[in-house]
Amino acid sequence: MAQIDLRNIRKEFHGRGASQGWLALDGIDLSLEVGEIVGLLGPSGCGKSTLLNIVAGLDHAYEGSFTIQGKSIEEQIAAGFRVAYVFQEARLLPWKTVRGNVEFALKASKFPQSEWRERVDRVLGLVELGKFAEFYPGQLSGGMQQRASIARAFAIEPDILLMDEPFSALDEMTARHLRQSLLNIWSAFRTTILFVSHNAVEASFLADRVMIMGNGPGGKIRQEVSISGVKRPRSYVDTDLFEKSKGVINALRAHSGRSEIIVA
Amino acid sequence: MTITVPATMTRPKRSGFSRALFRADRTITVLSVISIVGAWYLGSWALSVRVLPAPHIVAAVLIEELQKGQIYADIAITLGRICAAFTIAMTVSAILGFTMGLSHVAGVFFRVWVVCFITIPALVIMLTCYMVIGLNDKAAIVGAAIPIIPILTINIRESVKGIDLRLLGMAKAFRASRQQQILGVVAPQIAPILLASARFGLGLVWKMVLFAELLGRGDGIGYRIEFYYQMFNMTEVFAHALSFVIVMLFIEVVILGTIEKRIFRWRTQ
Repeated sequence: MAQIDLRNIRKEFHGRGASQGWLALDGIDLSLEVGEIVGLLGPSGCGKSTLLNIVAGLDHAYEGSFTIQGKSIEEQIAAGFRVAYVFQEARLLPWKTVRGNVEFALKASKFPQSEWRERVDRVLGLVELGKFAEFYPGQLSGGMQQRASIARAFAIEPDILLMDEPFSALDEMTARHLRQSLLNIWSAFRTTILFVSHNAVEASFLADRVMIMGNGPGGKIRQEVSISGVKRPRSYVDTDLFEKSKGVINALRAHSGRSEIIVA
Repeated sequence: MTITVPATMTRPKRSGFSRALFRADRTITVLSVISIVGAWYLGSWALSVRVLPAPHIVAAVLIEELQKGQIYADIAITLGRICAAFTIAMTVSAILGFTMGLSHVAGVFFRVWVVCFITIPALVIMLTCYMVIGLNDKAAIVGAAIPIIPILTINIRESVKGIDLRLLGMAKAFRASRQQQILGVVAPQIAPILLASARFGLGLVWKMVLFAELLGRGDGIGYRIEFYYQMFNMTEVFAHALSFVIVMLFIEVVILGTIEKRIFRWRTQ
């Protein structure tokens, strides 16, 4: 049984006073196995983030079936299933230190306070922020803030990690370093990851499978590109990875209806 | 990419630059105080001493008043009225401001009330309170509180609209309890709003209370100012005003300033 199973998901937004809604998602079928990394790639407005919010359990107003190992997300969360989120911006609490921010997630996930220090030190060490534990977010660079938010996510040992364009606000070199850090931590925890990206190379580098979504309204998964043939640990200069990312770009171009996309 | 920091580094210390900046700020503040006193001397020199007595004359009269003791009772009475009016104004404004900021319907409904009350002169509100409630302390307190409620309400409403909902989204994504969301995410964002409004409100309410005392009370600093004004004794007018300026400065700088430093230490890091 798949860990995450979405069947025929349909989501419509209704504006205030508008007679017609906006169909964001239509007929989405998606399954994720335990420990798998799946990327969602598609043009702006195709419903990627909407789908992520549904999986996060933050959006309940949809049609279709969404189960985690056969049960609803509410039942699973009540039974101790943990969801973590890495946003496009770090979304750290500016009045708390890096340690305080990670502890915020641990408290939310009801970890005993006696475990906090050890857990925080461990995850901050994994993202190379051990010496910045007592710093406030405002004292850190954008890349370091995002690393702190990745540490916050892994601190709770999530059953699924959701990421919404987590590296898009960073320069390419910092983003590459963070992607590698993320995979290092993932190899330690083997967390199931579902992420949204606009970057075909990033999606190919991180994912086992890349799901290509088409233009809205009624965003659908148009094509699945498997990257599992490219062995881990991966390298940006790997020719297999380069070929796969070209395939992802071509699929994206074919389904976005935008001919101006240039194949790398 | 490897980041190296000194092993002993646990929390960043105030840098030499920020220390220099702090010293410069203090010097500018001292110069600012000197310029106010200088302008006062200049005014008393240009005008008649009976109209604008010099600072040292006012200070001498204030010391004399403090030795006599009556002024302490007046300060206490006025402070009591300020506390009561301030509590009423902050409570009502916070409820209205948050409701208007968070609810579209409430925002539209109370907008008309706020606009109406902000345009009514404070004098009319106070006289109406004295007529409706009676010539007593309750009327003075309510009459001082009402004129500042719409101003504080607008202040709080606009600040509430500026709360970062993305942080609340983060807390919800991590399944923080309602209590953790309020205490850990909403409250720290609201605290600066309330503190800024408290400072603003305190500055307004003390002027309103003095006005209310001048209009319809037989004690308090406002009444004394009115009394000495009728006697055309401007030295006493200034001495009583100065006594309260010192009290309010103490509240502003020592009490509110200390609270601000403690709560918002992260901002200065």
